[in-house]
Amino acid sequence: MNFDANYLAVVFNSTLRMMTPILYVSLGSALCNRVFIFNIGLEGTMLTGAFTSIVVNYYTGSVLLSLLGAMISAMIVSWVAGIFMVKFQGAMLVVGVSINMIISGLTTFLMQLIFGMKGAYVSTDLVALDKIDISFLSRWPILTTMFGSLTYVDLFAFVLAFLLYLFLFRTVTGFHMRSVGINKTAAKSLGVNADRLQIGTVAFSGLLSGIGGCLLTMGGVTMFAQNITAGRGFIAMAAATLGGAHPLGVVAASAFFGLAQSMANMLQNSSISSELTMALPYLSTIFALAFYNFVQIRRSKPSKN
Amino acid sequence: MKDPSGDVILEMEGIVKTYDTLVANDQIDLHLRHGEILAVIGENGAGKTTLMKVLYGLEQADSGTIRLRGEPVQIRNTGQAIDRGIGMVQQHFMLFDPFTVAENIVYGKEPRKGLFFDLDQANKLISEISRSYELPLNPTDKIQGMPVGLRQRVEILKVLYQNTEIIIFDEPTAVLTPQEVHELLKTLKKLAADGKSIIIVTHKLNEVMEVADRVMVMRAGKLVAEMAVSDTTIEELSFLMVGRHLVETEIPAMNAAEKVLAVQNLKLLSEEGALSLDDVSLHVRAGEIVGIAGVSGNGQSELAQALFGLKHATSGQILVNGQDVFNQSVKTIRNAGVAMIPEDRYLWGSATQATLSETAIMGHYANPSYSKHGMLNIRNINSFAQRIIREFNVKADSIRQKTSSLSGGNAQKLIVAREIVQGTPLLLACEPTRGIDVGAINFIHDQLIDKRSKGAAILLISSDLSEILKLSDRIYVIYEGKINSEFQRGNVTEEELGLMMAGGKHENQLV
Repeated sequence: MNFDANYLAVVFNSTLRMMTPILYVSLGSALCNRVFIFNIGLEGTMLTGAFTSIVVNYYTGSVLLSLLGAMISAMIVSWVAGIFMVKFQGAMLVVGVSINMIISGLTTFLMQLIFGMKGAYVSTDLVALDKIDISFLSRWPILTTMFGSLTYVDLFAFVLAFLLYLFLFRTVTGFHMRSVGINKTAAKSLGVNADRLQIGTVAFSGLLSGIGGCLLTMGGVTMFAQNITAGRGFIAMAAATLGGAHPLGVVAASAFFGLAQSMANMLQNSSISSELTMALPYLSTIFALAFYNFVQIRRSKPSKN
Repeated sequence: MKDPSGDVILEMEGIVKTYDTLVANDQIDLHLRHGEILAVIGENGAGKTTLMKVLYGLEQADSGTIRLRGEPVQIRNTGQAIDRGIGMVQQHFMLFDPFTVAENIVYGKEPRKGLFFDLDQANKLISEISRSYELPLNPTDKIQGMPVGLRQRVEILKVLYQNTEIIIFDEPTAVLTPQEVHELLKTLKKLAADGKSIIIVTHKLNEVMEVADRVMVMRAGKLVAEMAVSDTTIEELSFLMVGRHLVETEIPAMNAAEKVLAVQNLKLLSEEGALSLDDVSLHVRAGEIVGIAGVSGNGQSELAQALFGLKHATSGQILVNGQDVFNQSVKTIRNAGVAMIPEDRYLWGSATQATLSETAIMGHYANPSYSKHGMLNIRNINSFAQRIIREFNVKADSIRQKTSSLSGGNAQKLIVAREIVQGTPLLLACEPTRGIDVGAINFIHDQLIDKRSKGAAILLISSDLSEILKLSDRIYVIYEGKINSEFQRGNVTEEELGLMMAGGKHENQLV
């Protein structure tokens, strides 16, 4: 029994650590959905953040600067994408895919240039994000396992979700953002600068994805690998849809994908072939979205009475 | 407040606005006095909406000046217009369906409490102004599912909430039932009496005569006349507006012949589980135009779509010349001799990016003179397109231009031409003249009457009552998916029809 509880605590902890990078990107994606932008470039901007944080880390050894670098670089890339999508009315899918491909290629190239290696860069010189001190929980080993090795950035993801919830549904700017997603023409005619709001949202979603990327490279093991995001940006977009583009719903959806991710990692040590377990997060994404849509369709069908 | 010496509150002078080669406003002067109602009339494309957009900051004039209370002002965007006390109730409502009445009204000038949007305060404010202007509304109702008249009331309160002194109404009665129109005109007079200055853009002349103090007539981008309403007549205004006398079309008597369309007990269950069509039975004979009157959203769209095979009905019978076409494919139904002018010319009637010659054969491309063995006969198609463009006076530069580059009236003429020239025994005409100018409306009406004279059966579905009354030999009124009454030509007035359209109750449905 004790083993079981402990095992569950490990799963819980790993789920938490797996979900927060997704949660950041997914919150960004949810905001984009609210202003009617389908920002598929989040995968690329997340990778931008992941890469920049390691580069800044490598040169300065400062955690704070690394995090800032991740945020700013991802925001700039996303801002450019936003301008292309909104000002020049480029097809969102094309802009997003282009961003993803450019960043994927560019980071691989720069990685060779800066670190002189392919594949992955690991170094003991790199510093990691600060872990939360949970020594006050030491009396309860289960709790220590559950909340161990988390960073402040992990913790802040949940605070941010709540703040964004307040922002979207309680502030005037949030109200305007939602209105732009519902009827952009009307919002414009009422004197709201809808284009600026949309571009701003895309830029901000980039900033969030940058934090997610930084968490990926500096949260647990401190390293950068080619295309380290491995589709997490896309999974986050799925989480945003699944969570109904509601910040709190997005937390639940991210937890689901975090669990899938952590199960995939845990099952690597089992007898099941690793090709299969590695596919788990992606399979769960497909099934979750299919199930979500199934429920939605069911709900809109006539109730026979 | 009809005192002609009243203070001039707004002056627009020498407004010029061009789009590429089109001069939409050519040296237009407008002045508006405090507390008066000024009607700006003209056909579609006459430039009246452009002029209003310039005033409301949606468009920038190329030249000209705007003065408010004698002060020259620049209005670069709607925000600045609203700040200066200019509000506009647009033709297409600018509302957010999932939001509440109060949220929609306070939009842009939200009451705040610290960092947050103070929704309670908003609800209270809206209750107050709705009471003080006698425009009853519940601030916490969602816009979704509201009838058009109430939505317009939300728009009006929105403008009033912004503390505007000049209110522009752009084609406010286009979508309203006669009862709703009556209410609105009363509201306009009351607002003017309260000291608001009102500009109403319209092409409905009887409303101008009823409510306006002064009228400005625009034609082809120019101001052609300006006068007090008391000094003019409907006939004079109509002549000034169109530039020629409109001849009332004679509708020749026809002997009703055999039934071309016979519908029995048609039922249609919507996806939400409501009965969109409830036991609809009707028929149309050869040489007869049958009108379906109703407030939009009472099952007209579903009826047309079920008849044309675009929507599957639940039960019933549909016969076209004796052939059972119930729930058949659109192709089978077309082959059975049915043509359709769809209600939305861009959603159903054409592809905006297609060329005019492509639009001209849409739905008929399988005709052997347009295509053989899957290959299009471009030469035949082009000559056909050229022919109908000529015969139906579609104003176009080339058959290769995009359908979206045509004005609404011309696009509609092209679609009407396409559906009429095929010479089918039955035509479903849905909103054939919605949102187009008087000249084009008359032209399309003449074409419909001509088709009837040739012995075709026409089912006319329209939310424009005057159109129904003018064209129909018989009229069915549809209300909540049911046919609730039937009238012969000349046996019913617009008001009576309006009452039946509202469910046959005598109290005003709006309140």
